[in-house]
Amino acid sequence: MKKRAKYLLLSLFSLGLFIFAWYLVTDILHTFPAQALPSPTKVVLTLVKKFTKKAPDGGTLFQHIWASLKLALYGFSLGAVIGIPVGILMAWYRKADLLVTPIFHFLRPIPPIAWIPLMLVFFGIGQTAKAAVIFVSTVTNCILNSYIGIKQTKDVHVWVARTFGASNGRILFKVAIPSALPMVFAGLSLSMNLAWMSLVAAEMLAADKGLGYMIQYARMMARVDLVIAGMVMITIIGAILNRILSAVEHAVVKGRHMQ
Amino acid sequence: MEHSGKVAPIIECRNVSKTFKNKGNSLEVLQNLSLSVRENEFVVLLGPGQCGKTTLMNIIAGLEPATSGEVFFQGERVAKPNPKLGMVYQTTALFPWLSVMKNVDFGPRMRHMPRKERREKAQHFIDLVGLTGFEKAYPIKLSGGMRQRVGIARAYCNDPAVLLMDEPFGHLDAQTRYSMQDAIERIWSREKRTVVFITNNIEEAIFLADRIVLLTNCPTNVKKEILVDLPRPRDYVSRGFLKIREDISKIFEITK
Amino acid sequence: MNRKKKRSFAGSRTEALVYGILSLVILLAVWHLVSLGGRIGKFFPSPFLVIRDFANAFVHAIGRNTMLEHIFFSLRRVLVGFGLGVVVGIPLGLVMACSKAGRAFFMPLFSIVRPIPGLAWIPLAILWFGLGEQSKYFLICMTALVGITMQTFFGALYADPVLIGAARMLGAGKFQLFVHIILPSAIPNIFAGLQGSFAGAWCAVIAAEMIRSDEGTGWIIFNGMNYANTAQVIVGMVAIGLVGLIASTLLKALERRLCAWNIQGK
Repeated sequence: MKKRAKYLLLSLFSLGLFIFAWYLVTDILHTFPAQALPSPTKVVLTLVKKFTKKAPDGGTLFQHIWASLKLALYGFSLGAVIGIPVGILMAWYRKADLLVTPIFHFLRPIPPIAWIPLMLVFFGIGQTAKAAVIFVSTVTNCILNSYIGIKQTKDVHVWVARTFGASNGRILFKVAIPSALPMVFAGLSLSMNLAWMSLVAAEMLAADKGLGYMIQYARMMARVDLVIAGMVMITIIGAILNRILSAVEHAVVKGRHMQ
Repeated sequence: MEHSGKVAPIIECRNVSKTFKNKGNSLEVLQNLSLSVRENEFVVLLGPGQCGKTTLMNIIAGLEPATSGEVFFQGERVAKPNPKLGMVYQTTALFPWLSVMKNVDFGPRMRHMPRKERREKAQHFIDLVGLTGFEKAYPIKLSGGMRQRVGIARAYCNDPAVLLMDEPFGHLDAQTRYSMQDAIERIWSREKRTVVFITNNIEEAIFLADRIVLLTNCPTNVKKEILVDLPRPRDYVSRGFLKIREDISKIFEITK
Repeated sequence: MNRKKKRSFAGSRTEALVYGILSLVILLAVWHLVSLGGRIGKFFPSPFLVIRDFANAFVHAIGRNTMLEHIFFSLRRVLVGFGLGVVVGIPLGLVMACSKAGRAFFMPLFSIVRPIPGLAWIPLAILWFGLGEQSKYFLICMTALVGITMQTFFGALYADPVLIGAARMLGAGKFQLFVHIILPSAIPNIFAGLQGSFAGAWCAVIAAEMIRSDEGTGWIIFNGMNYANTAQVIVGMVAIGLVGLIASTLLKALERRLCAWNIQGK
């Protein structure tokens, strides 16, 4: 517990130092024009006001956050629910492996944002296109990580299970999947970060609400304070999502790291 | 073996204690341990368990400080790592990105010895440990026994006055272990140095030592010292050897 | 992972090849069939069309440049931005790991920047550097910087203490420890950082090109979207995927050469 408190203190200290330096450089020394770098107080004020103000882009911060979050979680959960089982099955059944993996290798190198234009052409400018992009990137990563996780199942464990008379299916559920869980969660974590980032990028390109849209609009209005406020919000929510996932992993994957 | 009591010991530990503190718990690993080692003596520290032997080694080497008590090397207090002590590790601790030759000549290289001299010196010790021809090999390609030979050559090449060996053969299989004991015996008789050798294997101790220091487990202290006055190289099944073995086993309460 | 695992190696190789080709053929067939009919078909070009357009792009320009030139633009941007990230990130990571003062000074700044998702920098980059190349370099640099710095930092920080002790016993001084022990220890980590960050940097290039540029592989798909030219979009996606794949393969090959000594999981 002591170490944790120490690090927390250190983090708070560094945060304070940074904000102080920022304040110094802008409000006191005026090294940059207000257009380029607004003072931290202005950013905070903008952030707080934006929670309820609709200008200049037509939505409050709450609305934008909700729009982005909704999409991200929707695409993410769909992708995970489909991707993880597919990855597991691919790794466990040889025929599936040989058939699907080549296709997978073609799709994987394509960065998630590169899917955006295609999805926009298919689904038009709307929520579905963006959800589809997130779905594709999540599915790919979940399949990959679940696949690797299952492939890493230790032969020794499988043999032990067999000597106890376990069937193939039981070995899958009782041995392979539990030992693959850390890898699966790594995939989920990666997908989560990627999803959040891709969503923001997609919203910058074609949207009328959401955090990405908000900062893009702010950019066009040359409102640096709003841009930074938006970046702060994006970062915070990304961190919160990560934390939640981490907590879930801790609850599910107990005592795995006994190598 | 000359036991001239008038010559000062090359290493002397006086009442060395070491306590580790961790979140309110404290663990005493060394308790008032006193030990002296004479020049060119082969001393074996024999004891079961994983408690204090490595810590003692690290303190003698200057890598860790003692909580209380003093250690003297060549008459001076030990305060920091001293290249006059060479160390051989159970995990070999070879630098994986360097070849055998570059591992062995590492010490002289740190001292900026000219290349030709360095290489000749290293070659001498590579030949001595029986690894001629492997100069350009990388540790990842070598077997456990070969890696340990490199470790020994590397320690020797730095011209130490004392060699500290921390269970160097612990990770090797039984066959390799016997051949390594043989190798150490040969090397040491060709290039005599003071050796402090840690092991938990009774046979190994009797085969190699001039003097065996029996250590207790946590907290570690000297239980008894046994002189091994048998002619070298020793025979594992000679009567003298087996007698000492029986004595030690009784002390450690392995046999009744 | 079932009983048929212990097949002869040669047999499994050809089996894999056969299935691979089979799945590819099935994919192309399904694709082609879908493209022929109905509402989806209108938006979906046949795979043969796509292949033809792809080959064509090397000879005839899309926009103002041929495919190779587009690839060149994207690569150049990535390399400059990534290079910046390397030049700043590796020394930064090393300083933070080896100097307590350095860590105290830089860590706060770094901790602020670190959690910001790379693409979130886009609007700020444009506001600060305009719509030209510099904003792209900045964006790519920021995206790559975090990963490279962190990996370098951890690699240097967690250099094996036993090796450091061994080097000290052999007479290495502080600077020698850094050059001969810490730096080599960190190299595998640094490469992991480079590989991870490169993927992100490639994403960043594409994003930057989609948002504002007149050439480059990202521009190809954006332009295709604007003219509802799905074939062009897919051509662009293939190009992006291929180049990314080749680049990361090259990086892996480089790592294998330089880190051949690495004892993994000893």
